[in-house]
Amino acid sequence: MTTKTLRAAALALAGALALTACGSGGSDDGGGSGDGESLTFMFRGGADEKAAYQAAIDKFTEDTGVKVQMTVTDADQYATKLQAAVSGNKVPDVFYIEQANLQSYVASGVLLDITDQVEEAGVDLDNIWAYGVDSYRFDGTLQGTPEGRLYGLPKDVGPFAFGYNKTMLEAAGIPLPDPDVPLSLDEFRDIAKQLTTDTDGDGAVDQWGTGLNVQWNLQSMVWSNGGDWTNEDRTEVTVDTPEFAEALQYFADLTTVDGVTPNASEAATLDTYQRWMAGEIGFFPVGPWDVSVYNDLDFEYDLIPWPAGSTGESATWVGSLGIGVSATSGNPDAAVQLATYLSADPDAQQTLVDANVQIPNLIDVAEEWAGAADAKPANRQEFLDIVQDYGRAMPASFTYGAEWYDELWVNIQPVLDGKQSAADYLAEVQPKMQALLDESNANAEMAGGA
Amino acid sequence: MSRTTAEPTPVPTAPAAGIVPPDGDDRGSALHARQAMRRLHRTEHRWAAAFVAAPVIGFLVFTLYPLGYALYASLTRWNGLTAPQFIGLDNYAALLGDEYFRKTLWNTAFYMIGIPIGLVLALLLAIALNRKIPGQTAFRTIYYVPVISSLAAIAIVWQFAYNGDFGLVNQVLSWFGIDGPDWLQNTATVKPAIILMAVWKGLGYSMLLYLAAIQSVPRSLYEAASLDGANGYHRFRWITLPMVRPVTFFLVVTNVIAGSQIFTEINIMTPTGGPEFSSASIVYYIVRKAFKYQQMGYATAMAVVLGLIVLVVTLIQFRLNRRNSFSID
Repeated sequence: MTTKTLRAAALALAGALALTACGSGGSDDGGGSGDGESLTFMFRGGADEKAAYQAAIDKFTEDTGVKVQMTVTDADQYATKLQAAVSGNKVPDVFYIEQANLQSYVASGVLLDITDQVEEAGVDLDNIWAYGVDSYRFDGTLQGTPEGRLYGLPKDVGPFAFGYNKTMLEAAGIPLPDPDVPLSLDEFRDIAKQLTTDTDGDGAVDQWGTGLNVQWNLQSMVWSNGGDWTNEDRTEVTVDTPEFAEALQYFADLTTVDGVTPNASEAATLDTYQRWMAGEIGFFPVGPWDVSVYNDLDFEYDLIPWPAGSTGESATWVGSLGIGVSATSGNPDAAVQLATYLSADPDAQQTLVDANVQIPNLIDVAEEWAGAADAKPANRQEFLDIVQDYGRAMPASFTYGAEWYDELWVNIQPVLDGKQSAADYLAEVQPKMQALLDESNANAEMAGGA
Repeated sequence: MSRTTAEPTPVPTAPAAGIVPPDGDDRGSALHARQAMRRLHRTEHRWAAAFVAAPVIGFLVFTLYPLGYALYASLTRWNGLTAPQFIGLDNYAALLGDEYFRKTLWNTAFYMIGIPIGLVLALLLAIALNRKIPGQTAFRTIYYVPVISSLAAIAIVWQFAYNGDFGLVNQVLSWFGIDGPDWLQNTATVKPAIILMAVWKGLGYSMLLYLAAIQSVPRSLYEAASLDGANGYHRFRWITLPMVRPVTFFLVVTNVIAGSQIFTEINIMTPTGGPEFSSASIVYYIVRKAFKYQQMGYATAMAVVLGLIVLVVTLIQFRLNRRNSFSID
């Protein structure tokens, strides 16, 4: 009995330990702190981004003599690796920081307040997108307001624009949408219906009006319809309003009633993305990160404002990723210099923009970029309009954690399948989201007071 | 393993019973020899201690300490960045009301359906591949290839295969006029789809162990059974099956422990936990809480509960297995 019990216990321990191992693993590649001559920089991205950053950083080393040791991870592993590096006291000198994590990293003393150093360095913050800079400001209560102290600089801003397949609309004899006036939701649906056809006559539909993913496209419809996720203080979840429900219902009906998208379940996969690239979809979102791929497609496309709901105004979100500096960096001056360089140096920006991995951070560079005669897509200006005029932060960008926001998506599938009405679902999910938001706000307060 | 009423021999005086010469008349030289032995043993002891220390220290540093710390962390509010804050049993209390915790536990238990399926298939395969058939080695290799492949790579390949639109699975089904679902986006099919993949992935390993076990069954048993008029089924039922039982037991225990930690497949094939969280496993939920929402303390409490469940289940398995112990003299 005893040996068996022991053996069983050992096996079970092994099981439990494999779990705890998650917490301790991976801290070996966070890098050390700077020793005066070198810095560590941790970021995420694909192969092309890595190459672009390598080029920009080589230039930095050439100019300043400061060596930079880079650690790059896949996007989905980044948060885990960074957290492991922090727990292991091996915080990189300079690293990417997500908007939604800023508050907890500030509260935990990981991020350096760089307000003064950036000012002393003479960085012209007015020439960087206000949205981008303000995203990393935090006044102890609200993040994203112009008054707060600066805990990072924008690595980039990512306006989520809307595009259409010009070749397809021309072939169907549909007048091209006005790049200055948004379509109404009804107009959008009508065009989408016309585009949804069986082009080769085999009895199966093979061309659709659109194909949207609820997690990334619902924001536009809700906001332009006058709804929102929370009140202004970010204390009340407001998804149970009629404006919100109307927008979600419209979104679901595109599939289940109007049939202008491939089908509900495919909206959550890559399929619509691939169909768009194969030229089978009329309207599709376009982010700056898509441009290098989309420019090689064998049809013409261009950008237009998002279709607008009852307010008549387009709305969409702007993503952003920041560059922060470690509060424990051994060489904070050089670290701030690197962050500033990556965010605001014209040469560095040019390198990154030429690699087609982002739109320019500097407003003057961006305007020149948008007005270029060979701009592709032609209406690049739309990206800038979004950042400057009508783009907003994602609902959970400035709250303490995004769990309350993610809750909306978990059980949404029955609505998208037409098995539950949007209003019913939203009434059901609102209290759950509210409870999680309350918790997040309580955590923020506790962290701020600690 | 049976224990009789008394030990057959008294405890010997020298540390290693085997080396001690039998007590004879020449007691003086025996004593001398024994002292020499002891000196020799002292060095050996030191070496032995050093060798034993390596894994013991490893166990203390990499196993016992993290385990103890995990128990402590489960009693704290901790975001993984700053010092943990002791809050007693609050995390465990919160677990009771957490519907996703229940759901992911249930999902994890559901995935265990794959274990008996996998074992039966592996045993049948092992029997088939134990016969003299052409291409025997090739078949064995083919079934073993998934075992050595990267789980992440396999998950990605299967994700494509399960695609409702252009996936291999539905293309094959369409030859038979079946319109397959979008496997990973459907609450009813996502778990079976993942089980199917996991069974396929683990088949080669189980098969190999069964193959080894089958080949170590004494031929004489089969011959004797044949002489007694046993047919193929009888030989399988009364000889093969009991003889491979230790392997079955080993596989069940290790598969249950591994199955309770299923994560990679889920995380890659359904990064959001599947429609309505229907594919999320408990470890998936733990990782999400710990690293996405920075609730390290709460996540650790879940890990502790999972550890306890695995412990209890494993103890039950060992208890059940006692009845099946047998030995051959």
